[in-house]
Amino acid sequence: MMSAPMLRLEGVQKSFGGLTAVAALSLEVPAGCVAGLMGPNGAGKTTVINLITGLLRADSGVIALDGAPIQHLPVHAIAARGIARTYQNVRLFAGMTALEQVMAGSYLRRRTSLMASFLALPSARAALRMTRRRALDLLARVGMAARADELAETLSYGEQRRIEIARALGAGPRLLLLDEPTAGMNAQESEAIGRLVHTLRDDGLTVLMVEHNVRLVSDFCDQVTVMSFGRALVHGTPTACMADPEVQEAYFGRKEDAQRIRALR
Amino acid sequence: MADFWAAYQSTLGFAMVNAFFALSTYAVLSAGMLSFATVTFAALGGFLGAQLAVHLALPPVLVMPVSALSGALLAYVVALLFLRLDSHWMALASLALVLITRVVALNATALTGGVNGLSVPLSLPLWVLAAILAVICVVFWRLSASWYGIAARAVREDAAVAATLGIPQRRIQTIAFIISGAVGGLGGILLALMLQFLSPETYFIDIAFTMIAAVVLGGSYHWAGAIVGAVVFTALPVLLQAVVPDFEKVANGICLLLIMIFLPRGLIDPRALRLRRARKAPSR
Repeated sequence: MMSAPMLRLEGVQKSFGGLTAVAALSLEVPAGCVAGLMGPNGAGKTTVINLITGLLRADSGVIALDGAPIQHLPVHAIAARGIARTYQNVRLFAGMTALEQVMAGSYLRRRTSLMASFLALPSARAALRMTRRRALDLLARVGMAARADELAETLSYGEQRRIEIARALGAGPRLLLLDEPTAGMNAQESEAIGRLVHTLRDDGLTVLMVEHNVRLVSDFCDQVTVMSFGRALVHGTPTACMADPEVQEAYFGRKEDAQRIRALR
Repeated sequence: MADFWAAYQSTLGFAMVNAFFALSTYAVLSAGMLSFATVTFAALGGFLGAQLAVHLALPPVLVMPVSALSGALLAYVVALLFLRLDSHWMALASLALVLITRVVALNATALTGGVNGLSVPLSLPLWVLAAILAVICVVFWRLSASWYGIAARAVREDAAVAATLGIPQRRIQTIAFIISGAVGGLGGILLALMLQFLSPETYFIDIAFTMIAAVVLGGSYHWAGAIVGAVVFTALPVLLQAVVPDFEKVANGICLLLIMIFLPRGLIDPRALRLRRARKAPSR
């Protein structure tokens, strides 16, 4: 964790009308690290992911990848710089098989021009074969190789989540943003996602994941940032963050409030 | 058989010409855009091609590429303007473009002949028309199998997600418009050669209606759907007139309604095919 930050947010601000979703947020994710982003519902976690990927524009502040600001770039250019993501509510393409999803995700790694591909030049055909093999490898990596030719929408929620991760990996990112990757999964499936994230990190990928599952964050994240009402509350190791009284208050409320509620009953 | 051929030859011709308009519509639809601008591309390709044939006595072989190219160029300009608009606004803007096209066709008498129309002293054998359609089919097959096709499908299903995967929406949709323009312009001159006469009414609401109906009927998720839809939409009234002459219009309406109710995604639907296959396959 001593290396330079891969992702750096500095004073990032985003408001929707009168509501401040992200307020002066600063955040650093070192290269080769699994960073967790926690916080109660409405804390602005998904907004942060949308700001980094360019789906939303920050009102002010700097978002930098490897030191270069990216907050002004169009969405597809940010992806081309090496950021890929998954979505809180799985957003796979309708009507596509698992393999086709990952192929679509591999657009940036196609290694051939659109024209060469249209003309089916030998080089383009070879590149397509290679991309398909790579897509199958990625499906195998998330444990979905056997489902490659199945329509993604017919698969279970957990399976769809894993296909979405494979699709994001198809873009060959350096930074992977996972928005609640284990939502709706049981403990066993969540554990498998955690282990997958670790193998990805060991291969040199940097990961930032929004996650509610405290155990998963404790077990698999190297560092955690806890957000509340659009601000970074605490930043540090998972253990230190969980023990922080401010974090406990943000998640569970105040002790006095609990007593008052008991008194009202 | 010979009688049958003679009777339905022109129907077949119009079915094929309509297939070009349907394919032009499919080209933009397959990248997630509903646009009626095909009518305008067809008008430019038709009138310009007819003028070249009349005044420069160019043969159809030379006229057709010029028509396609003019359509593609116009489509590029249209794309620059239209891609700033959101989906339904684009559809409305393209309808406005159709209305403008008619006004221009009425008044730009040097190009269109105005209210008097323009006669086109050239004809086109049916087999040539079929051959050109076959070539266009190969083009669409290659497009759908290429990286352009993969990207267009992603943009159509979810443009924001596609962008976060590095797929440039504007670029893909601009290409879609250029393809639509080329095929529309080509369809325009082919219609001119079929009719051998053009009036300001030739390229108007009728074509817009035909191409949308063809794509809806045939299915907008595969290029073959546009062709099947165009053939069904063109041939059905003629066939029904032969079978049930008294109720032809009613029967036509009922057939179209039935297709739309029971096959809302059209006659050719790759997704339904896959779902059926998935259901048939032994459960995992």
